[in-house]
Amino acid sequence: MPDDPSFTSRRRFLQWSAVAVPALAAAGAPASGQAPPADYRPAFFSASEWAFLRAAAARLIPADALGPGALEAGVPEFIDRQMATPWAEGRLWYMQGPFVPDAPPTLGWQMRLTPRDVYRLGIAAADGWTQDRHGRVFAELDAAAQDGVLQAFESGKARFEQVPAAIFFAMLLGNVREGFFSDPVHGGNRGLAGWKLIGFPGARADFMDWVERDVAYPLPPVSLSGQRG
Amino acid sequence: MKRHGSLQRLKRLLIGLVVLGALGFLAVLGYAFWPTHTRAIAAPASAADAALIERGRYLALAGDCTACHTAPGGKPFAGGLALASPIGTIYSTNITPDRQTGIGGYGLDQFDRALRHGIRADGASLYPAMPFPSYARLTDEDVRALYAYFLHGVAPVAQADRSPDIPWPLSMRWPLALWRKTFAPNPDAVAFDPKRYPDERVARGAYLVQGAGHCGSCHTPRALTLQERALDESGAQYLAGNQIIDGWNAINLRGNPADGLGRWSEQDIVETLRTGRNPHAAVVGSPMADVTVHSMQHLADADLHAIAAYLKTLPPVSGPGPGFAANDATAKALQAGINDSRGAELYVDNCAGCHRTDAKGYSRVFPAIAGNPTVLAREPDSLVRLILGGSSMPATVAAPSALGMPGFGWRLGDAEVAALASYLRSQWGNQAPPVASGLVARIRAEMPGENHASEEAAHAR
Repeated sequence: MPDDPSFTSRRRFLQWSAVAVPALAAAGAPASGQAPPADYRPAFFSASEWAFLRAAAARLIPADALGPGALEAGVPEFIDRQMATPWAEGRLWYMQGPFVPDAPPTLGWQMRLTPRDVYRLGIAAADGWTQDRHGRVFAELDAAAQDGVLQAFESGKARFEQVPAAIFFAMLLGNVREGFFSDPVHGGNRGLAGWKLIGFPGARADFMDWVERDVAYPLPPVSLSGQRG
Repeated sequence: MKRHGSLQRLKRLLIGLVVLGALGFLAVLGYAFWPTHTRAIAAPASAADAALIERGRYLALAGDCTACHTAPGGKPFAGGLALASPIGTIYSTNITPDRQTGIGGYGLDQFDRALRHGIRADGASLYPAMPFPSYARLTDEDVRALYAYFLHGVAPVAQADRSPDIPWPLSMRWPLALWRKTFAPNPDAVAFDPKRYPDERVARGAYLVQGAGHCGSCHTPRALTLQERALDESGAQYLAGNQIIDGWNAINLRGNPADGLGRWSEQDIVETLRTGRNPHAAVVGSPMADVTVHSMQHLADADLHAIAAYLKTLPPVSGPGPGFAANDATAKALQAGINDSRGAELYVDNCAGCHRTDAKGYSRVFPAIAGNPTVLAREPDSLVRLILGGSSMPATVAAPSALGMPGFGWRLGDAEVAALASYLRSQWGNQAPPVASGLVARIRAEMPGENHASEEAAHAR
């Protein structure tokens, strides 16, 4: 994979985000349903991969009457930034054999592929599979068709060559959830959309005022950077 | 003819002015260079007497000599600490008994002239960074004790003094003599008189506060010419605070109930000096933390109580100023979930976790904000600096935990810090003027490190 150019641009991105993220965070919560800034340029994902990721995120946690979805909350940006972490390169795991696919989950990751590999190979396989079945890539399908495709991935009915579809789907769903509920400092949960949805108060240190009062907690969430939702 | 005459007169006037100026300058020079006579004091029977050395060691602790005369990482009392002055950096001197580079060659009277009069062995005047106007109050006996300690109780260190980084002509020392002769008291004129105080304990406190402790060096406001406005309780501004020391505001130590120690008990003051904290307040900022660690915590209980008793005799500074009248309206609103201003939101989101919505904090752990003199000080510099950069309580023998507050400069912009500080100064019964964001910007610019990152973020908004 083109590690060097992406590394350079990732660095530039990180430098930029060090300044811009607190600024964006402090600029206040975007109105419900507002799309993320269009000028985010992914460092890891190619244009076609990015289109898949955005489309899939928008179906896994869709915007609806309850508020913004994963796309509006910046989850694709979160996952792109996640690809720059040691986790994404498998450096947090034991990555040598033997790999035993049917080992119990407590025995850890059982693949030679890193999360970066899973995304790169998985998105290519997913778009290939969708192209074969529907004549179009995933991002160009309508929502109902996309849901059907995702269900095929999740159940393992779809067969990918290099990475099992179910493993790819599970990783994608897990990361979408992480992005939706992580602190906005990591790029997702923009406008504290995830925390507002579930009533999580965020980075507040103390709740002694509300203990044993039998009233609903009235304060909005607050992020690590001090943004109020 | 007439014009010629007026020219002559102008010429004569000019010559007269020049002569007058020259005479005036000579008079100033004469005043500066006229030697200061100092009374010789009797030498002790034995300078190496153990009890006398021990007494000197204790006085050196009370005077926190090490604060200036020991550089960070340097040998004790070998000097070299940089002290910023308005005209350039000066460096503290080696006061170890090394004969070549220290004060090993000083006789008792030379030592006394430096300590109480501000005159070096070579006759030049000391920079008044040396608090000789305060040390002028020391008794002859205590001067002898300090001499015994520094010549026989301190290890000699060969370390040459560093010349001040002050450009000529400001580096000339003779103008210092003018300052000294004009503003520093004659020790015999201010000789300590315990009969001026109601009892022995208060007298002992007064002696420690005014003399060795030189509390006024930081806690008494200074005039434009930099002398302290009073050197004892005879001046209404004595220990009235609001001098900014290394960016931190030395608080008012008089009886003012809001920005002073009016609502502190004697025990509160003793605990603060011994442990850096008391049930409702704590030492804030590095200068007083250092004084607590290096000096005050080592004093005898009786002396700390004497200091506290004396401070409690100082009446409030008169005239309008910050106020405090305990009021639970703010706490009730916050506890009902009402955050009806940006200041209230900022308090709840950043501060209330530790200082609580009632602003009383947790005793001896997180100081109260309600009625806290640091919060209510006339000059809010300490409060702003604390919010931006945080601070730690000093770790003392009696209370070793250096409990700290983190800085919030990375996550709050100037306007937010100003709104928050203004809120703190106007709620729970606190009554002090609001804080302008311009002051926050100025203080942030003085501070190193990560506090500037958020400045960029603030500009990007």
